[in-house]
Amino acid sequence: MADASSTPAVPHPLAEALAARFPALAGEVTSPRARRLFAEPAPEAFREVFDFAVAELGFDRLVAITGMDEKTSLVALYALSRPDGTVLGLRRRVPREAPALASVTDRFPGAANYERELDDLLGFEVTDLPPGKRYPLPDDWPKDEKPLRKDWKPGSPA
Amino acid sequence: MSSSLLSLVYVIALPGFLCVGGLAMQFLDRKVYARLQHRAGPPWFQPVADSLKLLTKEEIVPDGADALLFRAVPLVALTSAATAFFYVPLWGQHALFAFEGDLVVVLYLLTIPPLCFFLGGWFSTSLFATIGSVRTLTSLFAYEVPLFIALVGPAMLAGSWSLSGMTVYYAAHPLRPLANLLGFAVALVALLGKLEKAPFDIPEAETELAGGTLTEYSGKLLALFRMTLDVEAVVAAALLSAVFLPWGLGLWWPLAWALSAVKIVAVIALLALARTIFARMRLEQMVLFCWRWLAPAALVQLVITVVLNGVLPP
Amino acid sequence: MSRVTIPIGPAHPSLKEPESFNITLEGERIFSAEVKLGYNHRGIEKAAEDRTYIQDIHLIERVCGICSHAHSTAFCMAVEEVAGVTVPPRAQHVRTLVAELERIHSHLLWLGVAGHEIGFDTLLMYTWRDREPVMDLLAMLTGNRVNYGINTLGGVRRDVTPEHLAQVAQVVDVLEQRTLYYAELAETDVTLRQRLSGVGHLSHDDAVRFGAVGPTGRASRIDRDTRRDDPYLAYGQVQFDVITDDHEDVLGRTRVRVKELLQAYRIIRQVIATMPDGPLTVKVPRKIRAGEAIVRYEAPRGENLHYVRANGTDRPERVKVRAPTLANTAAVAKMMEENYLADVPIIVAAIDPCFSCTDRALRVNADGASEVLSWRELRARGIERYRREGVDFGDLNARLSRQLSARKG
Repeated sequence: MADASSTPAVPHPLAEALAARFPALAGEVTSPRARRLFAEPAPEAFREVFDFAVAELGFDRLVAITGMDEKTSLVALYALSRPDGTVLGLRRRVPREAPALASVTDRFPGAANYERELDDLLGFEVTDLPPGKRYPLPDDWPKDEKPLRKDWKPGSPA
Repeated sequence: MSSSLLSLVYVIALPGFLCVGGLAMQFLDRKVYARLQHRAGPPWFQPVADSLKLLTKEEIVPDGADALLFRAVPLVALTSAATAFFYVPLWGQHALFAFEGDLVVVLYLLTIPPLCFFLGGWFSTSLFATIGSVRTLTSLFAYEVPLFIALVGPAMLAGSWSLSGMTVYYAAHPLRPLANLLGFAVALVALLGKLEKAPFDIPEAETELAGGTLTEYSGKLLALFRMTLDVEAVVAAALLSAVFLPWGLGLWWPLAWALSAVKIVAVIALLALARTIFARMRLEQMVLFCWRWLAPAALVQLVITVVLNGVLPP
Repeated sequence: MSRVTIPIGPAHPSLKEPESFNITLEGERIFSAEVKLGYNHRGIEKAAEDRTYIQDIHLIERVCGICSHAHSTAFCMAVEEVAGVTVPPRAQHVRTLVAELERIHSHLLWLGVAGHEIGFDTLLMYTWRDREPVMDLLAMLTGNRVNYGINTLGGVRRDVTPEHLAQVAQVVDVLEQRTLYYAELAETDVTLRQRLSGVGHLSHDDAVRFGAVGPTGRASRIDRDTRRDDPYLAYGQVQFDVITDDHEDVLGRTRVRVKELLQAYRIIRQVIATMPDGPLTVKVPRKIRAGEAIVRYEAPRGENLHYVRANGTDRPERVKVRAPTLANTAAVAKMMEENYLADVPIIVAAIDPCFSCTDRALRVNADGASEVLSWRELRARGIERYRREGVDFGDLNARLSRQLSARKG
């Protein structure tokens, strides 16, 4: 990518819009390349920022939710996209001991699969999920084995 | 006495001949279908090999199924399809057996195989088979009436309810079968439903119902059911050619025989063509089609016949 | 009428890979549908964390058998973005060329599968026959029919020659004629329309709500295509139209895919005409500096998302793959509402879920020893057998291209 290298000197208008609405995010929205924005709102403000981005900034599609294990905390990265090709990565950090996460299926019904995946592979505790079967692990997979956690190593079960 | 002895020989030999003919027609159908799709198609012995393979396989009766009925229905289906063949004139103006009203008997005998498919599917207690059998029965109601009406037309024109009697009549009036062409078209389409061929292969639509009616059948029993379909195809094609293309049966018998074979091959090839160019219909589309277009067309044929009966000299 | 629940899957003739649909029927009508996925989870994301970036390319390429190039390219793009390297223009063009050929083979394959699902095998045989030259092109360009292995970090592993490009152009000309015929077929064939029109309806609002992507979304008037909206590879330099359709049903999805085929031919012609000279790769360090990248890629089935997070070592910290099918399955249950059991296979097929295939065969000799046939031998055998039977594809293609040049001349 020609424009992959560094944060542009001119702040992104969408980053400014976010910062204007949520002063805590001023200077915290990074844009590593054209059409890419990343931000990490405070956990309690997350849903508000999320809803604002969806409803006011035109990020009308949830592309995916990526779960990550960052040792002390678990992170869910919500990738939202706009029709003009801009992608906003919103980070939601939860403590590893109590990885509770509220579902966004009220806004994006298609998010259910992504959130089940967070639960199955990383052990997020997603609340308000619509009823349904687990995904993607088999039905008889032990509930406390979370394969994508960094301390989980593949091997034969005890 | 000697004639009844000859009949006995025929009765024993004909079913064997019919099965060979059925396999040959299956080959023809598959080959035509393949070539129309730019494929090479199977070698000539493929239907035989398929049948032999099935015959050597284990037959499994589902736990919930009525074992006796489950085993009996394929046999009943094959027998009734084969029996119908005795009444169709093929190598002369008289069939092996003939009596006034044998047309009705043939139609009745040809209705038994679909009913057997229904029973077989129903008694195998599998979900796919049950839905398949309901579909068999529903489509039976759709195609059977147009088929019957279409076949009644030529009989009315000939003033005979016997296939052999009709042949004699049309031999005397060789132009009059042309009045039945609409009926022929209707019967051909209805036959696609009876033989469960595309676009009417709804009961065994594999992409929806796995094997449909025959899901639970395997081994010899499945081979019997498959043979039934092949034999039914030959019998129905023979019936259609005897009723709608009755020319040439007065010739020297080997010639008449050969001519009948050509007609049967032509009908089978037409069915293969239809199977190539159409997508499978949905059940409700098929029922609508049969009642909205096929049945009225058959009725028009009937009206033509009635008018002709009044106009033409006997 | 009493309700029956029938299981379609995890193993069922209409599904080419395991997934499960529990369909509750009222007679022939679908009352409700429940989708269960996950039978194919292979732990690729976990495995990727234990392998080097170079190894991961080959691992990620095997996410899907059909759109393998989509996945390996998206992964490479993400790593290259984090590493801050710029791929040379010639490599970008080669990747684009393979990507569009992949789209052609995937869409033709889909058209055939769609035909099969509605009991129209003739369409299957025709389109898969036409797909074969594309597979040959891919084998010629990359060495493989599937899992091309053309990508590497910083570029591509093989160069294309002018002869290759000439052959691609020739095949594309032939395929365009065939595709126009299929486009006409989709508009005019009665039974095809009967089975496709009005089936699997997904309104524009529902498509947005459920996040439908790719042809599935575009057939519901979602005017989005990553190739145009978020240009990557050489897509910023070529002209093409994003195809949308207002049918919102399976027919619309068919029309979108057929028209996308025509656009793919257009793109390929431009890529060939503007193929730049220059190197094929740039050097990418073995250890990738810490960072992250989200890459979106318009695969044949829709938008692909790859997320790569690097931690300064030679192995990624996290790799996330979101294939288009996962985004589209959410809408499948919705599409099935108010339809017939007979429509289930085509509705499922219409989002074009993935399956893979293999290209070697085992022959057991009379003495019991076994021998692996090379692809070339196997193919030669097939062609020879068909020629004996009177079907000659070489001849068929030659005839068609002769007709074409006659028409042009």
